[in-house]
Amino acid sequence: MPVTQRPAAGGRPGIGRLFPRLPILGDLRLIRRFGWVIPVLIVLVAAIVAYNGRAISQQRGSALVVYTAGRQRALVERYTKDVLVKVDGFQADPKDSGEAMRQPVDVLLDGGSVRAPQGGDARVEIAPARDRKVRLKLEQDRRLINDLIVVGDELLKGGQEAPDYEANVTKLRVLSAQLSSVSNDAVQEITEQSEASLSRLVQIEIALGVLSVLAALGLGLLLRRAGSEQAAQFRSLVNNSSDLITVLAPDGTIAYQSPSVQRMLGRRPGDLAGTELADVVHPDDQDEVNASLARLAEGAPGATDTFGCRLLHNDGSWRHVESICTNLADDPRVNGLVLNVRDVTEQAALRQSISDLLHNLARRSQGLVDRQLELLDELERAEVDPDRLDELFRMDHLATRMRRNVENLIVLSGVDQRRRWSESVPLRDVVEAAVGEVEEYSRVRVAGLHDLTLAGQAASDVAHLVAELVENAASFSSPTTRVEVSGGPTGNGYVLEIEDHGIGMSDAELDEANRRLAEPLAADVAVSRMMGFHVVGRLAVRHGIKVQLRHSWFGGVTALVLLPAVLLGSAGEHPSMAPLVPAGVTASPERLLLANTTKSGWQPRAHLPLRQHAAPPPDHGRDGDAAAGAGEPFD
Amino acid sequence: MAWTRAGRRWAWALALVLAAVALAVPLTVARRQEPPPRGAPVNVLLHDFKVQEDVAVVPAGLVTLRIRNQGPTRHELVVIRTDRAPDNLPLQQDGLTVDEEEDGIKLVEEVNGMDIDEHQTVDLRLAPGNYVMYCNFEGHYLGGMHASLAVR
Repeated sequence: MPVTQRPAAGGRPGIGRLFPRLPILGDLRLIRRFGWVIPVLIVLVAAIVAYNGRAISQQRGSALVVYTAGRQRALVERYTKDVLVKVDGFQADPKDSGEAMRQPVDVLLDGGSVRAPQGGDARVEIAPARDRKVRLKLEQDRRLINDLIVVGDELLKGGQEAPDYEANVTKLRVLSAQLSSVSNDAVQEITEQSEASLSRLVQIEIALGVLSVLAALGLGLLLRRAGSEQAAQFRSLVNNSSDLITVLAPDGTIAYQSPSVQRMLGRRPGDLAGTELADVVHPDDQDEVNASLARLAEGAPGATDTFGCRLLHNDGSWRHVESICTNLADDPRVNGLVLNVRDVTEQAALRQSISDLLHNLARRSQGLVDRQLELLDELERAEVDPDRLDELFRMDHLATRMRRNVENLIVLSGVDQRRRWSESVPLRDVVEAAVGEVEEYSRVRVAGLHDLTLAGQAASDVAHLVAELVENAASFSSPTTRVEVSGGPTGNGYVLEIEDHGIGMSDAELDEANRRLAEPLAADVAVSRMMGFHVVGRLAVRHGIKVQLRHSWFGGVTALVLLPAVLLGSAGEHPSMAPLVPAGVTASPERLLLANTTKSGWQPRAHLPLRQHAAPPPDHGRDGDAAAGAGEPFD
Repeated sequence: MAWTRAGRRWAWALALVLAAVALAVPLTVARRQEPPPRGAPVNVLLHDFKVQEDVAVVPAGLVTLRIRNQGPTRHELVVIRTDRAPDNLPLQQDGLTVDEEEDGIKLVEEVNGMDIDEHQTVDLRLAPGNYVMYCNFEGHYLGGMHASLAVR
């Protein structure tokens, strides 16, 4: 069981619980185990500070006490002198000096305030002496002072004429000497005691300091060891990762590559150091890679971006990779862009295989549908019964729709196999041809298009794109309503609007659809569910066209198709167009004829029935559900 | 009752403490016992301001002075051989301390600075004669801290 999950009740409470997970250090069991060092260190340092303060305070107090005691001797001598001077008849004030003589002893014994040396008028409190020896000596001092004052009073009282004058003078001097001796003794005792006490404090302080240093060293070693373990763990992860870690220096050169470069590109880790990444990127992918790296380098620190490309293997083959790139230029330990590169060659090969399979199947189906359409053409030409002809037209539309589905598969397979036209085509012809591919073409009204031409190489794809959007609009709106196709110029191109009056889409659905239109994915299961959006997206990407869905004012959806200016030209510039028919696409004069004779002669993707423009809106007797498909847009 | 692991630990700890006490007590007692005097013992007490001895006359030869300062201040003990009276020793110029350089005075021993409750044992080989013991701190001798010792 991991340490972090161990229940406290099962064993020692563990001070490690105080340090659950340090975000900087990660999951460091050493720290959790020896984390108690930190509070111990804090306590030690606090004790040092406290002892230091106490020592300083005691030192000051002791100095004051010693100073106070040291004054005793001078005061005794002064009193003795004052008494003798006074007795000799001179001016002196033994009373004052006697009181002054008492004061230091009284303060030292009983506590009180004294004037601090060099402190002006400031007074400092002195605590009563507590040591037994000191007190004994000070009390003796006080007794001798009392005796001295008694003798002094006798001398002052009797004067020189007193019979015991000489004896008292001797007694006074002896007492004074004794007092000096006792005072010295007391001062010495106080000094020794203070020094011993200070020495003890300093010793404790030094011991605490040594312990603190040891604890700090231990903690430092612990952190270093923990850091080393973490670094080793990280190194192991990087070295054994299947992904290739590459660091790009700010000048675009490769600064570092993890050892997995050997496995991925067949090169030793240092081989590519100092070279440019572009040296190993496939030429076709360099624009995308450069754009991604430039975007990232200009972005905020820590920003990420992804791109896919092909990298050159040492054996000359190309490896498909996907890279997640992070901007760590601001991190002094990296100072560059970090690329986490994953080899997806096998997935790419698999995707290519699926695409090829899809394409082959679609091509076969396309051939069959084309033959079916040709057969229907012949039947339509030979048929004179209007009812039968109508049924044939309906079959023709279904077959056309099938062909568009097949072409969708070809688009999704990634193969760019289109009919190309060397000359420009009127935009109106392209739009009308697209409408002609829709089963409910009679509900579609094309209006307000400008006389513009569309570049020939985009005409077929634009028609396909518009057909998908128109069919989507017709499928998801009531059969009684019309689908409006209109257009208008913009600053950078021309916008086609396909608007329906149908059930509309929720905001979430609209966002999802727009996302798929903007970023079409590779063919997969998700694509098959919303194939139309992906086909439109892919066709749009081919020609730099932007497609966006919006809520319509009338409750439905409006699809906006922005044709870039480079694809457009003004009307009248299109001479007769000779189609470039790709392999597998049959161009027949009959189909051109049946395509309602586009003025430009451009061969549309499908033919339009002759009655396209003459037909009134359908009687809408058909089942609306059938028109709505299976419930998914572009289904 | 079966011993638990913790119980055994406590028992070991208790046994160690008892063993330490059992060892420490006799050592402490033995240390505090003063060695027997090698010469004729003389117990000398010093206090403010007296010198007291338990015997005034001792036989010549080895004499052991066991000195104790009862305080309440620091004292010393000076032993001189002189025929002068204990209270009539010559003083130095300060008039407060005994002049040990004077004629007729022979310094025998000097035990310096004894603090309160301090003990000292001094062995002296004394020839027959008169001896004086005193404290020569300022004023102490004049205050009465002296005693005579006769060696016969």
